[in-house]
Amino acid sequence: MMDERHRELLAGYVDGELSEKEREAFEKELATSAELRAELEEFRKLKEVTAGMKYADLPDEVWENYWSNLYRKTERGLGWILISLGAVILLSFGLFEAFSALYANPDNPLWLKVGVSGAALGAVILLVSFARERIFAYNRERYREVDR
Amino acid sequence: MIADSELVMNIKAGNKKALQALVERHKKAAYRMALGLVGNRDDAYDISQEAFLRVYRSAGTYDQSQPFLPWFYTIVANLSRTWLRKRKRTDHRMVDVDDASYLLISEDNPERSLINKETINALRNALMKLSFEDREIITLQHFRGMSYDEIAELLDIPRGTVMSRLYYARKRLAKHMGRDDG
Repeated sequence: MMDERHRELLAGYVDGELSEKEREAFEKELATSAELRAELEEFRKLKEVTAGMKYADLPDEVWENYWSNLYRKTERGLGWILISLGAVILLSFGLFEAFSALYANPDNPLWLKVGVSGAALGAVILLVSFARERIFAYNRERYREVDR
Repeated sequence: MIADSELVMNIKAGNKKALQALVERHKKAAYRMALGLVGNRDDAYDISQEAFLRVYRSAGTYDQSQPFLPWFYTIVANLSRTWLRKRKRTDHRMVDVDDASYLLISEDNPERSLINKETINALRNALMKLSFEDREIITLQHFRGMSYDEIAELLDIPRGTVMSRLYYARKRLAKHMGRDDG
């Protein structure tokens, strides 16, 4: 009857990863167990099949251009950060100016001010909600990384 | 030769030459790791590039007292896992039919005579039916040729767990192959 230790030793035996002492002890058990021998045969066949295969490589020109492609991506990353930062600053300034003008002008009716305030508040709530969802998903993702 | 961990410290300081040196050293390994996990050459290439971008952006979080490869492998594995989840959502076929030749018969291996087209197809399909963890351990031992000690260090698990995981992964792989054959 196989137990967990037999399973570990079987894997190690097939891969030649056992110490001499472990190997000798395992071979003694192998001689008396048909179940172990059957599993060993199954694993050996599997090893023979995978030993005759390899991963397809990429063409040489892909490897030659690998660094230049990556370098461009590092530059683009910086570009996106600067564009995003600039857009946030410009948008914030524009919104501040628009709201200031809206509320400072006594000719604008109250319904317009309330309507714009409601829309702005709704947009902020949605933005915060999306941000929270993304942060929650990111945290869960990281826990998965740890739980291997 | 400058150690990987030292290169990452230089990357943290904004040195792109250090990034280039690290990329040249590990680009093929990164691609092959990803290929074993996702089974598609184009995606494996993209994942490997994204992994180096993560190193570039997250070099500040790297602990220099720890070896580089396990940290880097975790990045590649997590990117591959995320990619597979996204693909599963949009495409229920686990094997990309456009890239059925990601695994080939090795020309310089004496075992090649044992392998025919049906066997290689059965193996490809069986590999992609495995769980991510099973495929990971099979990839590292069978196709990357890593020793148990190297796998244990890379995955940060005890050697006994490597042996146990390999046993169960092989059992499931053999079972899936048997089903495909029959």
